Amino acid sequence: MVKIIIYIFLIISPFFFVGIINRVKALWAGRKGTPILQAYYDFLKLLQKGEVISKTTSFIFRLTPSINVASMLIALLIIPIPLLGSIIKFPADFVLFSYILGFSKFMTVLAALDTGSSFEGMGASREATFSTISETAFFIIIGTLALLTNRLSFESIFLVLNLSSGYTALVKILLVISIFIMLLAEGSRIPVDDPNTHLELTMIHEVMILDYSGPDLALINYAASLKMLLFSMLISNLLVPPSLSLEISITLFLLLLVLIFMTVGLIESLIARIRMSHVPQFIFVITAFSITAFAIVMFFLRGGY
Amino acid sequence: MDYFLFGSLFYLLGGIIPLFFKDKDKSKVFVIFASIALLFLFPFSLNILLGGDKIESLFLFNLPIGTVPVRIDPLSAFFILIISLGGFFSAIYSSGYMKIYLEEYSLSSFYFFLGLLIFSMLMVVTVQNAIMFLIIWEIMSLSSYFLVLFENKKEDIRKNSNYYLIAMQIGAAFLIAAFSLISVKSNSVDFLDFKSLLNNQNKYSFLLFILFFIGFGTKAGFAPFHTWLPKAHPSAPTGISAIMSGVMTKTGIYGILRIISLMDVIDPFIAYMIFYIGLITGIIGIINAISQDDIKRFLAYSSIENVGIIGTALGLGLIGIVYEIKFVALMGLIGAILHIINHFTFKSVLFFGSGIIYSQTHTRSLNKLGGLIKFLPITSVMFLISSLAISGLPLFNGFISEFAIYLGFVKAFSFSNVFVNVGAILGLSGLAFIGSVALLGFTKLYGICFLGIQRNEFHIQPNEKNRLLLTPMLILTGMIIISGIFPYVMLILIKNILYQFLHYDFEKDFKFISDIYGSISIVLLVFLALALFIYFIRYLLLKNRKIEEFKTWDCGYQITSSRLQYTGGSFVQPFLHLVKEMVPQKIEVKKEQILFPEKASLVSYTHDFLEKFLIQPVVKFLKLSMELFAWIQSGKMQQYIIYGLIFLLFILIWIFGVS
Repeated sequence: MVKIIIYIFLIISPFFFVGIINRVKALWAGRKGTPILQAYYDFLKLLQKGEVISKTTSFIFRLTPSINVASMLIALLIIPIPLLGSIIKFPADFVLFSYILGFSKFMTVLAALDTGSSFEGMGASREATFSTISETAFFIIIGTLALLTNRLSFESIFLVLNLSSGYTALVKILLVISIFIMLLAEGSRIPVDDPNTHLELTMIHEVMILDYSGPDLALINYAASLKMLLFSMLISNLLVPPSLSLEISITLFLLLLVLIFMTVGLIESLIARIRMSHVPQFIFVITAFSITAFAIVMFFLRGGY
Repeated sequence: MDYFLFGSLFYLLGGIIPLFFKDKDKSKVFVIFASIALLFLFPFSLNILLGGDKIESLFLFNLPIGTVPVRIDPLSAFFILIISLGGFFSAIYSSGYMKIYLEEYSLSSFYFFLGLLIFSMLMVVTVQNAIMFLIIWEIMSLSSYFLVLFENKKEDIRKNSNYYLIAMQIGAAFLIAAFSLISVKSNSVDFLDFKSLLNNQNKYSFLLFILFFIGFGTKAGFAPFHTWLPKAHPSAPTGISAIMSGVMTKTGIYGILRIISLMDVIDPFIAYMIFYIGLITGIIGIINAISQDDIKRFLAYSSIENVGIIGTALGLGLIGIVYEIKFVALMGLIGAILHIINHFTFKSVLFFGSGIIYSQTHTRSLNKLGGLIKFLPITSVMFLISSLAISGLPLFNGFISEFAIYLGFVKAFSFSNVFVNVGAILGLSGLAFIGSVALLGFTKLYGICFLGIQRNEFHIQPNEKNRLLLTPMLILTGMIIISGIFPYVMLILIKNILYQFLHYDFEKDFKFISDIYGSISIVLLVFLALALFIYFIRYLLLKNRKIEEFKTWDCGYQITSSRLQYTGGSFVQPFLHLVKEMVPQKIEVKKEQILFPEKASLVSYTHDFLEKFLIQPVVKFLKLSMELFAWIQSGKMQQYIIYGLIFLLFILIWIFGVS
């Protein structure tokens, strides 16, 4: 029961976390900033509007926002909550997690190409290119976790992760940084992408959705913020120690989520976007870190080789 | 057995009988024969797959062939199923498609060799006599060669089909060597007698396996023997490309599987070799695929990728067998076998779709297409579904086979061995890499072809009135969806094959994986329902509101032209830049060297890394060394007669010397 309540909270919460990022950025810049629930108002307003749809587009363009939201929701239900577990679970469920995100990415890229706009083609191309690096790295992260715990699903992996030795802590730090970079890359945040600019040459995600309006745009925005929540939930899961009592670990879990989004806001205030040609190098950091983590697990924690 | 022989003969007859009909009617006759053949073969192979008794019959020939055993076990039955289905679909499709050639070419040779090709493939997977096998193997290669050569009036097609023929003969040479060696050493030509020689302890086992692997791997398209695929597949008429890519390359896999099924003990080195070659093949295939501009070349490279995935899975399964990690062995084999049939389904649809595009627009170049979704709605939906499936995305069958492989990799981590674990992490990330690059590639293929605005004027308005072309695609797409959402069906189909490779009781693990597939079914159905539900809400919201249709937002840029769209080349440019060492690019820029140049052009090509740096140098070396002996062929009859005399003299001396 508690589990279901928390999941319902998580499903409606993503715009709240977006609000946190914006609030942190505003405060850092010395502004008062928009209300923390601003994204909800925008969402509701968009839902009440009509739409302008390009004549060039086909059913793919119309179908994509719904598919995006559905796949993010399924992915969300695969990630567990500490001690309570997840709603969807089976061995190797993380494969479905990654591939259902891939499904939504496939459709988004197609929807961008559907408009026949050169800008959107550019964004689509970048999105698909960068995901080749981050997706590969994600599976190294999964492999490391599986090697560390001998378990096959997200829920059981996170249930047995413990902070017993120094090496485990090191591995966790490396993985946390890796997933955090994934969050920035997949969530289209600074320094990979800037969700606020409208300068087409530098954009990835925003440029792919230029032609959406009304309820469709609302759905797309919701899916995008949900996607960030997914990766922050993974980080939070890694950081919550398993031996705490239920209340404390769930509170800690939710607090960590807030903290992660505050960090995202802080990073966006502190650094600028990096040059597009350097983005792959930045995302390669995930690969490097996760391979290091894998090597540590293999040679120091498993031993016996 | 009678069913099988009748079925196969009907394919053969289907090739011969049309010779006596008019060109218009040939296709109908062939379709009738193919349907009858399918009626015989389909229930027959299904019966054996689902647990019917294995079948064996012996046919007596004169020396040197001797007795030819035709054995049909589940492994053979599985391939019979794919070949008969592939042949049938290809027949229906061709009956609609080949009309475009009617004025220029006669269809006699086409149907004759198609019948022969399907017949020989059916024989290849059942005959277990080394000499007969090689003869049929050659018939298969030759009949497909003539099919590739169908448009023989075109220079480049003649060139490509010759390349194909040579590649096949090199592969066959290795097979002949392997079969000769094994027959001499075992004193038999029956496959079953090869068992002892293929075992680990034997000093020849390793050499034999390498020879077999090169021979069969050339057919399958394993790197670096893959270079014929992107040349042969685009040259053949589409019905043939589909059957060559979806079915014929699998006979190479069959060969490898057959040899493995004869081994009781597997050398770890062999397992690792198949695993890593598979992985490299997959990566090379997909990286080269995305740089292609020609749809069929793209699909041919993607076949190499999929063969690579099958190889990786098979290698994983063998590693599992070697170290007795039962679960890993099971997952690897399930993944490999499922991917064989899955690749057949989606690759056939993709090739059939590319044929429709070609027949309607007369071009296969991505840069000249675009916006086809408006003209070819049904084709585009099926093409989309197969693109999603081939990228391994959920709801469709590509995900199911890749899932099994992933599960095997993850499970391999629980086994403490540095080689296994490193292999598992390389396989895990390699497969993810292949999957994500496939996503890039197939969004390019589909997006550039079907979406956006059309780039060039078409001769005629493209349409899909020809229902014959759509029927096989519809059936195959149905298979893709059903086996994607209810994977359990496929598991039952392949269960009996697994017994031929795994010599222990795997019921418990099998139950485990079918339970997982059950959960996946439920999750996928929920996903589908959820997406439809959200779409329904969106529909309700917009029902009474204004939906304006307007042009695509152009960011203030006023000139509209279809040429402003992103092209396939620009779409993959960032990625090709990342892997430029592996896909060398050559860019030619032409500029007028005057003060105000008006015309400029840029052309870029990509090379296949292995072809350029491995195959071509070898060919060059061979050519140079052969030229040293060119003087032998002088063209003078007198000289040739002297050669003959010298040879006879030599033989005489040898015979007398020996006796």
